[in-house]
Amino acid sequence: MSEMTDTNVGVPESTTTADAPVLPPENRPTQRTKVRSATLNLILGGLGVLFLAPMLWLFLASIDKNASWGVEWPHFSLINFRHVLTGSLLHSLWNSVILAVISTTIASVAGVFAAYSLSRRRIPFKGPLLLFIIFSSGVPLAILVIPVYEIFSKYGLLSILPTAVFLSVTSLPFEVYLMKNFIDAVPTDLEEAARMERASTFQVLRRVVIPLALPGIAAAAIFGFVNAWGSFVVPLILIGPQNQQPAPIAIYTFLTLPKAQFGNIAAYSLVFCIPVFILYTISSRLFREGFVLGGGVKG
Amino acid sequence: MASIPLVDTVTGPSTSELWRTRRDKERYQWSSFGLLTPTFGLLILLFLVPMGFAVWLGFTNLTLVGPLAIHSSFVPWQQLTRLRTDTSFWSSLWVTGIFIAGSIVGVVIMGYTLASLLMRAVPWMRMIVGGIVVVAWMMPAVTAGITWYASTTGGGAFATLLGTPNSNFLDNDPLLVVTIASVWSMTGFAMLVMGAALRNIPSEAIEAATVENASTWQRFRMIVLPLLRPTMTAIVLLTGLLALANFSLIYIMTQGGPGNATNILPLYSYQQAFSFNNLAYGALIGNIMVVIATVFGVFYVRITARRL
Repeated sequence: MSEMTDTNVGVPESTTTADAPVLPPENRPTQRTKVRSATLNLILGGLGVLFLAPMLWLFLASIDKNASWGVEWPHFSLINFRHVLTGSLLHSLWNSVILAVISTTIASVAGVFAAYSLSRRRIPFKGPLLLFIIFSSGVPLAILVIPVYEIFSKYGLLSILPTAVFLSVTSLPFEVYLMKNFIDAVPTDLEEAARMERASTFQVLRRVVIPLALPGIAAAAIFGFVNAWGSFVVPLILIGPQNQQPAPIAIYTFLTLPKAQFGNIAAYSLVFCIPVFILYTISSRLFREGFVLGGGVKG
Repeated sequence: MASIPLVDTVTGPSTSELWRTRRDKERYQWSSFGLLTPTFGLLILLFLVPMGFAVWLGFTNLTLVGPLAIHSSFVPWQQLTRLRTDTSFWSSLWVTGIFIAGSIVGVVIMGYTLASLLMRAVPWMRMIVGGIVVVAWMMPAVTAGITWYASTTGGGAFATLLGTPNSNFLDNDPLLVVTIASVWSMTGFAMLVMGAALRNIPSEAIEAATVENASTWQRFRMIVLPLLRPTMTAIVLLTGLLALANFSLIYIMTQGGPGNATNILPLYSYQQAFSFNNLAYGALIGNIMVVIATVFGVFYVRITARRL
């Protein structure tokens, strides 16, 4: 078994050649093409500045001890970060972690089962089921928050755990779709070999399919995590108790305070962003790996 | 070889193809249903049931507090008349339309421009600018809202950059500013997807056209655009759906104001349900959103299913 899982999953053999850009035929750069290329780079740089401008405040104000809404050279200090990583603000971040981890776990576990079944098994009405999955992966399910609020309030469920379950449902269809595509790319030979050895469905999933499709499953889980982490309107409406509110609500509460603490808002928002940036970076790596899954079978 | 049907002579038969040609009765494995149960159970419980419930809820006169919170009744005509005569609703629908259309146009144009420029840019430029645009896309909506509020309010980054420190863009052109913020936060995705699609266009096609003396515009219109169309359609529909539900960004920046200038449907629905306590009316407005999302969603299914 260990030999099987060791067979270089995702070790790219041909990526260097496949990823290399197609170079145009070598021709000597003339004066005209040089001017053209300089213009292109200049326009691109201009667009880059326009995209950067709104972000400047976030970075500068977070390290400025007398920050305002304006963009100015900061009086450097890390006091804002020290302020926001204490007490109820830290607790809100912790709530965000709980919310995102629970919702990701539910969606990924349920999703991988469904994705496997939809990818490999013979199922009645498979076509319509897949269309339903695609439809609900495109439509933002958060627009159902009012009826869900009414249902939750009727059964006394306006708290963090039921909200995590609802958030898992909002990312579930896309996760299933993503994981199904990844599992489709896993060769069936290894599964058949495992079946010959009388492995149960659960064993096949745990020992063969999940390890081989791991990049895809991880990418789907990251999508679910980021979706729950950044969600604002769903916890705003569905979570009643003050001490269960996640970080986005804390950011909003900052804005409603009579005396704005600009530096703290910026620092807290930045801290809130960091996990998302890290996870997306990992996710894009995983996607690149995902496309060489064929390496699981020697042929 | 031609006498054997259903067998692809290049790759050989895959297992699923062999199963498909089996002549005995179709058999389902019971474990398949067990594997599907958690996902479809959750989707039925928290997607289909609330959706059905919302249809009923929208036609009642349930309120958040007060006597009607306990004794509500089914009054479909009254609710529909209320919707028809509610000028705030129609203005909100109009604002939503402009916001969605503006977001789509902006995202497609910016996404394509950036993707095609990045392909021809020098490597360090590609890394920096591409990185900035992707970071803007990754930023959670709440953070994007805060940083855009800070940069477009009086004394913010844009006012300073343009040398008019006292102009408050957010107050002067609220709908324009939130639409630009929405474009800013979604362009990264379009750029990545279109970049991948552009790299897939065979360079021979472009070269052949160049040899035939086709102008840049002709090459774009006759080759790039037709080949890029499926990708563009997907981006248009996804941007439309995301803009329709973009509650957080606008709520942080303007809360729908000033007046009702940026009160898109999700905000108006929330406002009716939780600020004015008209829970049922909020649900009815939510149903209008579901109808709009369904139209987008059906087109999205049609283009995505083709690739399955």
